Amino acid sequence: MAITSSVSTDLVHLASSRGATYADARAVEREHEAVGVKDGAVESVTRTSDRGLGLRVVHRGAWGFAATDRTDEASLRALVDEAFRRAEASASVQRRSVRLAPVAPQRGEYRTSLKRDPFTVPLAERIDHLLAVDANSLGPNVKTRRSAVAAYRTRKRLVTSEGTDVAQEIVETGAGLSVLAVKAGRKPASRFDSRLVRQAGWEYVEHLDLVARAARYRDDAEATLDAPLPTERPTTLVFAPEFLALLVHESCGHPTEADRLLEHEVAFAGTTFMWPEDRGKLRYGSAHVSMTADATLPGGMGTFGWDDDGVPGMRTMLVDKGIFVGYLTSRETAGALGLPVAIGSARAEGWQHFPIVRMVNVSLDPGTVPYADLLRGVDSGLLLEAPASYSLDDKRQNFHFSTQTARVIRDGALDGYVRGVAFQSLTPDFWGRCDGVADDWELHGFLSCAKGEPLQLMRVGHGAAHARFRDVPIEVRE
Amino acid sequence: MTLLGADALLGPVREALRGVQADEADAHVHRRRAAISRYSHSSIHQNAVSDETHVRVRAIVGKAVGVVTTNSLAVADVRRALADAAALARASRPDVAWPGVAEPAPIPSSAAFHEETARTDARTQARAIGAICAAVPQGMRAAGTSQIEITEDAVANSRGVAAYAPATMAYLRALVQSETHSGSGYAEDLSMRMDGIFPERVAARAVEKCALDRDRRQLPAGDYEAVFEELAVAEILRIMSITGLGAESVREGRSFMAGRIGERVTSEAFTLSDDALDARTLGIPFDVEGTPKLKVLLIEKGVARGPVYDRTSAKAMGARSTGHAADPSRYAPGGHAGNLTMAGGGATREELIAAVSHGVLITRFHYTNTPDPRAATMTGTTRDGTFLIENGKITAALANVRYTMSALDLFAGIELLGPQRLARDWWSSNGMGSVVCLVPPMKVRRATITGSSPL
Repeated sequence: MAITSSVSTDLVHLASSRGATYADARAVEREHEAVGVKDGAVESVTRTSDRGLGLRVVHRGAWGFAATDRTDEASLRALVDEAFRRAEASASVQRRSVRLAPVAPQRGEYRTSLKRDPFTVPLAERIDHLLAVDANSLGPNVKTRRSAVAAYRTRKRLVTSEGTDVAQEIVETGAGLSVLAVKAGRKPASRFDSRLVRQAGWEYVEHLDLVARAARYRDDAEATLDAPLPTERPTTLVFAPEFLALLVHESCGHPTEADRLLEHEVAFAGTTFMWPEDRGKLRYGSAHVSMTADATLPGGMGTFGWDDDGVPGMRTMLVDKGIFVGYLTSRETAGALGLPVAIGSARAEGWQHFPIVRMVNVSLDPGTVPYADLLRGVDSGLLLEAPASYSLDDKRQNFHFSTQTARVIRDGALDGYVRGVAFQSLTPDFWGRCDGVADDWELHGFLSCAKGEPLQLMRVGHGAAHARFRDVPIEVRE
Repeated sequence: MTLLGADALLGPVREALRGVQADEADAHVHRRRAAISRYSHSSIHQNAVSDETHVRVRAIVGKAVGVVTTNSLAVADVRRALADAAALARASRPDVAWPGVAEPAPIPSSAAFHEETARTDARTQARAIGAICAAVPQGMRAAGTSQIEITEDAVANSRGVAAYAPATMAYLRALVQSETHSGSGYAEDLSMRMDGIFPERVAARAVEKCALDRDRRQLPAGDYEAVFEELAVAEILRIMSITGLGAESVREGRSFMAGRIGERVTSEAFTLSDDALDARTLGIPFDVEGTPKLKVLLIEKGVARGPVYDRTSAKAMGARSTGHAADPSRYAPGGHAGNLTMAGGGATREELIAAVSHGVLITRFHYTNTPDPRAATMTGTTRDGTFLIENGKITAALANVRYTMSALDLFAGIELLGPQRLARDWWSSNGMGSVVCLVPPMKVRRATITGSSPL
């Protein structure tokens, strides 16, 4: 099945002729190549590809979805039957019909802008690069070193019964790096980042400067291994963009997903504390805190031409100077909420998945203060550079984060490492304590935001800058 | 739904393997048909079926390994995948730790497939959901999922391994919420067979919890006696599994077992095995490398006995693979313990609660994680049924609490165990890695609560 084939169009016509009030067919082909090095040797060289087609219908006011990787005519006809059977079963237990927010028919193509296609980089070059990275991770107590580079290509074509026919080719390139330091009598210390990924070509790997980064991670892990527990309990915390990107994801991105307030995710991913009646009123954070969803951001992992409803990528405010103002919506959730337009957040991981509300690029907007000025305002505090484990409640209100790397700030300057730092807080309380956001905004990419049944792992982007928070108590654990 | 069958899965890969231009090669075929109906506000809002087959081949040239995955079972496509894998291997570097592909060995028969369950259709799933919605009284609403999954796994390699096993899974869950107060209750059934799913019973359990969950109080942080229901215990076992039951985590010093095998790590009341050969755990009898799965005693009466192994970790540690290699796109390398059985006891739910003088009952957790893997520490908030127990009786509903504690310390305080039940943790129930557990409810001496969510 080629992405340019008329299979999708034929299936949509067939579904419409059988009485579907709405139908769409999404053909998707995915490729992935990854090379991994562990402790100076190649650990894995993999190439993955899959392709298939998902058909979605609204029939008798209810959704039915069927997907297959078999593209013979009999299988595709059976796909239409399956989708209708699912819709009829849905209609038998339904109180309210599906209503889609309108979107004008869309036509066109979207393609990632890239300088060097990562799939064309010779394997030997990738391996040599990683071996150089690996060599720079060596340290006296470093027990395990891992590094990887990966390339992803997704081609998809969406055809709907309302006249939309759009094709997209998205290329992503990324790297992973981890260092584990172990010493007798000490708690192991690790430094890792698996969120170094961007919608871009091989130039992004070069931009990352993995060789220098490996040395930094080694130094962080070695220093954390030998670091003391904090003797003081400072409550002024400065977060690095890498850390805040995850906090934005978990505590703003997820609770603004409109399917959570419709309770589509209540039994698994949970709901929200940000309700429609709170819009324009709820104080989510301090006046320094503005957050934006933007599917048009160059290089973002949540950037696209159209979402999987065929809605064009767009930019919208979620939090404006601390006040909750917007949701991430699909056509279905916007329709159910009576909103005039969807903001283009319906996304499916692959051909085999039903599109659900997902983040795009959800970011903390930059401030105007240089990072050095933020630090200068701290007499006694901690710089939390990278998250380790994290755990959130079902409303995204109560969270706990532990840290990989925490550094002491004394009189406005960095002064050594401490270990064992964690904190728990409540979302509006935490963001309400933000008293400054720096101007050093940077974009991070996540490959695997988990949501939905069956599970869908989604790529999303998050931008953030260094930011300072006052009066956040920390926990210290051995 | 019909199975593709052993011939359809094994035939193309065995034929393709015959001509492979590599020193060794193997192939794992995984077919999955998942039919999932999701409902909320007592209406089905999503109803999807997907059918996919993936073939993962490895070709080894010298000791260099290339891996290619495709989702076509056509002989020509599998052949191309093997040729591509061999080309990747040639362009790669030798892996001195490569243990070789598996030798043929007798594989126990599988009993994890149920024909009638495989034939369950969309209407039957809708009827189960309808039964739950009908059982929910006025003033409450239900949400949840019905899932029927059929899988077929096959492994073949250039040394002659040829293994095939089908499996079925039926799952139904209900979250019942109150329209009049902030309360919720949760229940689920998980089985290899659709006739092991009882919608009315699931609804009744969830409704009962929801009715109890009113006028919540906040619990101050501190140590409490506790009753953990099966889903809550499954969550703790998941953390143990992903942080410490695979051989690679032991070798790298990240596991709670590292340097402690043969030592007491919990109380005598705790015994844990991995046993995919017990069909109740939904397991199949071989791993993705084609090695027969063994029953592995992980912790025996509180004493750490050892981890599970794949071929690479076994070679590195001078051991034998226990048949626990797992799909590397979903699991960390080095062995995955995903079919756990924890020894149970005879205490009823009432007896577990009656044994608590001042403590908490936990139904399940949400989004857990591990801030200290070496200690198998888990943190997570409770949900859908957290209650205060005083003098042996449930006396109040509680706002969700955050629990943070080492699994070893928790299991060191086991005082009573109930009978085993099949359960999965919050993550596994949605496919984020799979740990299926035969697990009992338990009463423990001490659980550490580190905070409360708002009312």
